[in-house]
Amino acid sequence: MNLDELESGSLCKIVKIHANDALKYKLLDMGFVAGAQISVVREAPLYDPMELRIHNYLLSLRKSEAQLVEVERL
Amino acid sequence: MIKVALAGQPNCGKSTIFNLISGIKQHIANYPGVTVEKKSGVFSHKETKIEVVDLPGTYSFSSYSLEERVAKEFILDENPDVIVNIVDASNIKRNLYLTFQLLEIGKPVVVVLNMMDVAKRRGMEINVERIASMLSCPVVAASGAKGEGKEAIVEAILQAKNAPYNEFKINYEELEPTIKEVEALLEEDTLQVSKRWVAIKALEGDSVILEKISHLNTTIKEKRLAFHNTHDKDAESFLAALRYDSADVIYHQSVSEKQLGKKTVTDVADSIVLNRWLSFPILFLIIFLIYQSSIVYGYKLTDYTWPILAAFKNFIIAISPAPDFTQVPMITDFAIWMVNSANALLNYIPIFLILFALIAILEDVGYMPRMAFILDRIFKKFGLHGQSTLPLVLGGAFVGGCAVPGVMATKGIADERARMATILSVPYMNCLAKVPFYTLLLGAFFEAQMALMMFFISTVTLFIALIVARLLTSTVLKTRETSPFVMELPPYHLPTLKGVVFRAIERVWMYIKKVGTIVLAVAIVLFAMLELPGLSKEQASSYEQRSQALLDAFYQQTANTSYGERLNTREHVAELLNVYDDYRARRMIATPDQAEKIDATFEANHPFYFTFVRPPADNAEARAINRHLRNLSRDRRGILQEIKNTKIENSLLGHIGRSLEPITQFAGFDWKINVAFLSSFAARESAVATLGSIYENNAADNLRAEEAMAQNSGYTPLHAAAIIIFMILTPPCIATMIVVKLQTGSYRWMLFAIFFPITLGLIVSSVLFTLGNQFGWSGVEAFALFYGLVVAITLFVGSLPQKRINWSGGLVKINLNQEEK
Repeated sequence: MNLDELESGSLCKIVKIHANDALKYKLLDMGFVAGAQISVVREAPLYDPMELRIHNYLLSLRKSEAQLVEVERL
Repeated sequence: MIKVALAGQPNCGKSTIFNLISGIKQHIANYPGVTVEKKSGVFSHKETKIEVVDLPGTYSFSSYSLEERVAKEFILDENPDVIVNIVDASNIKRNLYLTFQLLEIGKPVVVVLNMMDVAKRRGMEINVERIASMLSCPVVAASGAKGEGKEAIVEAILQAKNAPYNEFKINYEELEPTIKEVEALLEEDTLQVSKRWVAIKALEGDSVILEKISHLNTTIKEKRLAFHNTHDKDAESFLAALRYDSADVIYHQSVSEKQLGKKTVTDVADSIVLNRWLSFPILFLIIFLIYQSSIVYGYKLTDYTWPILAAFKNFIIAISPAPDFTQVPMITDFAIWMVNSANALLNYIPIFLILFALIAILEDVGYMPRMAFILDRIFKKFGLHGQSTLPLVLGGAFVGGCAVPGVMATKGIADERARMATILSVPYMNCLAKVPFYTLLLGAFFEAQMALMMFFISTVTLFIALIVARLLTSTVLKTRETSPFVMELPPYHLPTLKGVVFRAIERVWMYIKKVGTIVLAVAIVLFAMLELPGLSKEQASSYEQRSQALLDAFYQQTANTSYGERLNTREHVAELLNVYDDYRARRMIATPDQAEKIDATFEANHPFYFTFVRPPADNAEARAINRHLRNLSRDRRGILQEIKNTKIENSLLGHIGRSLEPITQFAGFDWKINVAFLSSFAARESAVATLGSIYENNAADNLRAEEAMAQNSGYTPLHAAAIIIFMILTPPCIATMIVVKLQTGSYRWMLFAIFFPITLGLIVSSVLFTLGNQFGWSGVEAFALFYGLVVAITLFVGSLPQKRINWSGGLVKINLNQEEK
């Protein structure tokens, strides 16, 4: 399943990044490596983007981009 | 001299450390060719000179953002002696990701664990020595916000410069053989950095490095492909994963967190600030407070600062050659014009100071990215970024703002394309200095519908800005670099007073320095264009005759008094008039206390003239002369006004205004309006003054400017509607354009920002005026139609489906991924 499908409060583990180029590098730099744990903190008030916690810091990601992150629910 | 590069991730407190160690002697410039700011400072320590250069904050050292390219090119080209890496102690793991890449470069690195106080508060215990031994480089604990750690950092820099470099290696396991192979291919001393680092970066597909070793690019491409085929992983993901694993190891061995899993202050604050139902009210409240305290209260503050500027003006008038009745020396006219132009700019300083301080606070607290998080969904539809909110508000949401701070506030927007779109759309917002102009036209032509029209004007600007942003991002800005919305929401921090004040003053100073000089240069050009060639001989002699008639009448009125013989030459009367006008100008801005002093000074300096300027109650003759004097002063002003008008008519700008009439006639503009628009480009305030002076054909009739314009111009409300629409669309002023130049880093964008809106404005107002004439619309009808149309277009554009962004666009880079698919 993909990251954008998860509801607030859920916990997951990254399986694979399907993004390319700039987005891929950016995600890697921010710690989106296979096996990293992500918890979905909340959605923005207008339902997009979403707020995540990864490596114990907070980060926001648009759903269109979260869709490219394959995860596995924990 | 030791050259030090300061590197670190965003939000690690890098600028605090920079200010801490480099002191106040700072130099701000841009990195060559880009708008990324380069701060450097020089200081001495124990007779060693140390230069610190603040690199842009980057999460990594790859080449996918402008900041990272700039930072890396600095290290490669400028060859610093020591790299100081600032690490947020409360977020060690992610920060180490950058640290590893810096350590691999092959230059001495000093790691500064900043924000130790925050880490302690969060219950983290950090073993500094353990980290130092694992990284095999000096590690210094510091707390920039509290001013702790300066000595230790400087000491470490000095030692690191002389100490031998300890190689730091992460074991990249399966990739190691490939790294070794690439290393072997690199020639000696191609670059002054570690060959291993170059090899790793090249395998990562880093464009800056690949450009430096372009002869090896095909080989490297093959090696990447081979690695991908044998291990089913691409090199960059593999490297990132290993770096995070290594960071995890260091983190677990040197940090113990006692409150892990507990809610932090940031968590609690976010649950309110980002709450679905509370976030918007809080956002509006914050925006409203900023607007209220800067634009509204700041404007009130100018009531107190204005007298200072007015006094400055009076001083300049006093030292300029005095006018000889209606003959005003050009140097005096010029001095007054320049003072007025300077004052128009300086008048905004209280507003800017408050504004920049408030922005600095919001930046430091960490609210900016949260604002973007809340609003991103709306703004992305128009090609903007959530962070575009504040610039647009400052540019003039509600009743008016100023595009200068608006454009300056675009600095933090992470997405380059959205940042450009914001810079180019902020000038469409409602400029505060345009408001008097609207008021004048509304008062003259829309007295009954003033409130409705003002509502239209102040709300239509936001819609126009949004449409323009969307238009630009899908056309001229289409190929601009855009970055994914992957944005950190940093923990909330209390801002430091020093940091806030420092930045506010720094930005105001930049405004005065960069904007002030150019505006004054433009003012000189405009003055020449309004003044030359001046009056013709016949006109000059005709005005002279009228002046003489006024003087003769005054001589007659005073001839039979006991003062007659001392008031019967042009020289004396002109002097008396100057004293009279000067006195009145000074009294106008004086407090009661000052008034007494002014009276005393004038009485002492001009004992004779003062009798008529302020006649004693028991001196009937003096009082009569005072009355005549008042009339004479008014009539003189009338003639001066006419001379000014005639000069404008004759002037170069007047001729340009006339020669533009064939184009502008479709919008209903005559040459007078053209001149008003042209001459007000230095500062929009002067549009009212110019129009006012053109239409007040004779000051003696005492009409208010609105009435004069309604009666004398021959315009209809439809004309006025077209003029207002054009004014809404035209760029606010030259100051804004300079700031656009500074923020976009190019004169071409500045010219675009000038001519695109003018063309747009001319087209829109022409179409509306021509159609309005055809169908007999009233001014309000035409404007309402315009308003409706703009709103409709905004809604339409906003509802267009979004294209999936192709992240391959933008930056020029050597694409290695294509082959792998």
